Amino acid sequence: MIAHNLVALPVVLPLLAAAVAVLLPPGRKPWLLATGIAWLVFAASLALALRALGGEVLSYPMGGWEPPWGIEYRLDAANALLMVLIGAVAAAVFPFAGPSVKRELGEEKSPLFYAALLLFLAGQLGIAVTGDAFNVFVFLEISSLASYTLVASGKDRKALTAAFSYLIIGTVGATFYLIGIGLLYALTGTLNMADLAARIPEVAETRAAHTAFAFIVVGLCMKIALFPLHLWLPNAYTYAPSAVTALLAASSTKVAVYLLIRFVYGIFGADFSYREMPLAWLLIPLAVVGLLSTSLVAIGQNKVKRMLAYSSVAQIGYMVLGIGMASSLGLAAALLHVFNHALMKGALFMALGALVYRVGTSRLHQWRGIGRRMPWTMAAFVAAGLSLIGVPLTVGFVSKWYLVLAAIELGFWPIVAVIVIGSLLAVIYIGRVIEVAWFEKGESDERCEAPLSLLIPTWVLVIANFWFGIDTRLTVGLAELAAQSLGGTP
Amino acid sequence: MSHHLILRVVAKFLIPLILVYGLYVHFHGEVSPGGGFQAGVLVASAFILHALIFGLNKTRPIARPGVLKAIAAGGVLLYGGTGVAGMLFGGEFLHYGVLAADPVKGQHLGIILIELGVLFTVASVMLLIFYAFAGRQKPEAQ
Amino acid sequence: MSGASWLQAALAIPYLGALLIIAVLSRHPNLRESASLLTSGALFASVLMVLLAFLRGEPIEARLIELFPGLSIAFHTEPLSILFALLASGLWIVTSVYSIGYMRGLNEKHQTRFYVCFAISLGAAMGIAFAANLLTLFIFYEVLTLATYPLVAHKENEEARMGARVYLMILITTSFVFLLPAIVWTYALAGTLDFRLGGILPRDLDPLITVLLLALFVLGAAKAAVMPVHRWLPAAMVAPTPVSALLHAVAVVKAGVFAIVKVVLYVFGTEMLGQVPAERMLVYLAGFTIVAASLVALRQSNIKRMLAYSTVGQLSYVVLATLVLTSFSEIGAALHIIAHAFGKITLFFTAGAIYVASKKTELSQLRGIGRRMPITMTAFAIGALSMIGVPPTAGFVSKWYIIAGAFQLDDYFVLTVLALSTGLNAAYFLPVIFRAFFREEDQPPAKPHGEAPWPMVAALSTTALLTLLFFFYNGPVVELESGLVGKSR
Repeated sequence: MIAHNLVALPVVLPLLAAAVAVLLPPGRKPWLLATGIAWLVFAASLALALRALGGEVLSYPMGGWEPPWGIEYRLDAANALLMVLIGAVAAAVFPFAGPSVKRELGEEKSPLFYAALLLFLAGQLGIAVTGDAFNVFVFLEISSLASYTLVASGKDRKALTAAFSYLIIGTVGATFYLIGIGLLYALTGTLNMADLAARIPEVAETRAAHTAFAFIVVGLCMKIALFPLHLWLPNAYTYAPSAVTALLAASSTKVAVYLLIRFVYGIFGADFSYREMPLAWLLIPLAVVGLLSTSLVAIGQNKVKRMLAYSSVAQIGYMVLGIGMASSLGLAAALLHVFNHALMKGALFMALGALVYRVGTSRLHQWRGIGRRMPWTMAAFVAAGLSLIGVPLTVGFVSKWYLVLAAIELGFWPIVAVIVIGSLLAVIYIGRVIEVAWFEKGESDERCEAPLSLLIPTWVLVIANFWFGIDTRLTVGLAELAAQSLGGTP
Repeated sequence: MSHHLILRVVAKFLIPLILVYGLYVHFHGEVSPGGGFQAGVLVASAFILHALIFGLNKTRPIARPGVLKAIAAGGVLLYGGTGVAGMLFGGEFLHYGVLAADPVKGQHLGIILIELGVLFTVASVMLLIFYAFAGRQKPEAQ
Repeated sequence: MSGASWLQAALAIPYLGALLIIAVLSRHPNLRESASLLTSGALFASVLMVLLAFLRGEPIEARLIELFPGLSIAFHTEPLSILFALLASGLWIVTSVYSIGYMRGLNEKHQTRFYVCFAISLGAAMGIAFAANLLTLFIFYEVLTLATYPLVAHKENEEARMGARVYLMILITTSFVFLLPAIVWTYALAGTLDFRLGGILPRDLDPLITVLLLALFVLGAAKAAVMPVHRWLPAAMVAPTPVSALLHAVAVVKAGVFAIVKVVLYVFGTEMLGQVPAERMLVYLAGFTIVAASLVALRQSNIKRMLAYSTVGQLSYVVLATLVLTSFSEIGAALHIIAHAFGKITLFFTAGAIYVASKKTELSQLRGIGRRMPITMTAFAIGALSMIGVPPTAGFVSKWYIIAGAFQLDDYFVLTVLALSTGLNAAYFLPVIFRAFFREEDQPPAKPHGEAPWPMVAALSTTALLTLLFFFYNGPVVELESGLVGKSR
């Protein structure tokens, strides 16, 4: 029974567990439940990914209703990669959340907090695994609403306003997406993704199809936080609890990028998106401007958390750049960076959370000399930072290599320059933190390392950064497979 | 508003009727406009009417927030549980057909159960939202 | 043990040494230094074994892991690699001895970090030396930059931080902006990144693209300090002298020129470059660097900064010789890597010895110091003569071959540059020697001093001796390099 329903379990388990969490008493139990579920989900997603690596496409009819009328869960190389990613991130961040959230928020609201966390997880996985366009909207809203709650739970009063603007922009984005889906349904009579892909070519030249495309792309770009629709992200990431930021940074925008790829390549098709509609002309300039401007803003930040938030927007620019290049290699690079950036930012935000646990703030001038007081924690930050910069032997280098290769293959030399300059800007803002933490004098010199319960999950992700930077078979294999099956070059 | 005699009497008469109507809407969800969401809101509105007329202090002991939270979670569990039951009986998640010997009867049973779950959750959540907003001011001593 | 096993040993030993120092010995200072000495000795022994295996004709390769489909981290041996590896590992032993004297003499802090980063840097240098393809070279090249950063910022004052910032920014910027795109482009053009004698690029490549690519490599390998990407070298002088001596006279800078020579011989091929007239542009750049650096060195007052600019010029001798593309000049380039290393490390050692003994850092303070520190200043004189290229020093040998190489083509530009720079080198080195020995001190020092602590004196005497010995015993090296050069035609 488990094998038959394995595709649905990663969504069903967290959903039910969320309800159970509400019923649990405040304290550690909700956290333990959430962590257990996260690990189960990760194991399940690994099992599924291994099957997908073999080239198999798994299909699961929800409720027994066959597609294309019923809702189908469909797993191929692209979303198998995504599922493993979300599972891995959850498996690392949930154990981390226990002590971190307890320190930042206290334990009385823990049943509701972990219920929201589990709902978020269920939503993200649902988006990843489903093959029905409207089902995507449902899960999009589930995870978004849960994340608004999670952001609002931050203890700073500004968390409420941050959550509110996140809510407004997120809802507008989701609504745009819904409008687009509605138009597609009116045009083709189906909501199943594979079926849509088959039927859209006939109606490709209608104005309704163009409008649907526009709405969907813009709506998703709001969720992705592509410049200039990214204004919700810095505040939301800064004021949310550290564990929440780590989770959000490593999953929600990635899932949105995956959706964009799925629609642009898988459903509308590269031909329509790039020949019929001027998508490259939209994505590439915005990605470039976003990448450079937010990296520059990141350099000027005094709160490390905010700096990393802006860095996230910049990295998203890289992913969109890969998509905009409209080639198979560019698509593979984008998918790779989705995975790799989640590992990088997840590790960075967790290291930050561990530092904040002891220091209480992420203001840079309070971090003077902290490298000597919390060597392991700071080392994790540095290692993840190196990955962000793109030093060889880290995942960051792998992404960079593919992006530069894709750009050179197409002869886009200015883009190569942009990619490279972005890395240099990252060296500056990460370098600032390293300098202050290691090479400046702090007030005291006594050791106050972060607790093991925070260090271990952080280091697991940090090691993953190096592991997947050296053994690239899983990630590159899935990414290239996905790029081929989605059909790259128009 | 508890000193308005007419309102009190009418409310006492209407509240049970509203509840029954809610159940009616729930069970008829498959053949006419209705279903769990609408039924849930109706059920909640009965309690809200009670609170408006008799005061929040009288309603709260009847529909305690803690209990409401449990019912909300319970509703989700009922819904999900029905889905899992489908899996346990050999079908997929939310495959109702396998819940009874006759697939049609199974569908019937499945839908009623999940809509019941929806009813529980919607009703309790609506009430909780009402409590959250209404509870921000001192209940007027009228 | 087979050659391949020795190769793997040589690649792993420095990191094992670093681990040893961190894990076990950070609490026992003496053991820490012994560990460093032990590691360097073991490394040198392994590289020697690799040399012997190579001379026997064994095929020696190692592969670590496939990073991308078709691209692995892989290692091989060839004459240049062994040369570089022997040089770096041998001089590491001497530097370890020197460091003991230096660190103790100044009571420096953070010594564990120092020794560990040193070990990792040498490990990276080995990785660069034995790299079998451009990807492997790049990986270890970056590791070298990162591992040396804490060494440059070692003193942790504002000056050190600024210097380290400039150092890091220039090296990483050039790596990312020039070197990485050059490598990826090469991959796109050639379909492989393996080093093959005679080149891997298509023969009919557009000459303009060839020159562009070559320029990207020359500027990208900023560790070779060709102008204008050379400013990191003077900035790095804020580091403690052992760092400046081994890394910025031997390991780091030689890694840079090594990369360029390797690229010229194994990625492009001398034949292919010979047919691209625009390649002369880079010869002119190297020539300009030599003269300009010498002029700037003339105007320096700080000892280490003068040595830094001297290094910039000397490195471009190697680049110049490589790009002249004649058989003698290629041999001269390889010889100069060795000759300059011996001479420069001696000079830096003496600068550090002077600092430890008398706290003096400026050239103007060196009047009469020859009487107080005769051994040290004699070594300085030997190193300086080697820079100028006077027999019987190592510098003469390499210069001889480079001049011969220039004559093979009647290359008057190169000959002029060589003559001019020799004169300029004499102009800034000879006065120092003269003043040290034949002038009186301005004022007696606050604390009378003699030579520096004995480990430092032992080290600098050794390297001075090597500088002299290389003049007499350079046959085997010449033979090795001639073999390589012959095969590459």
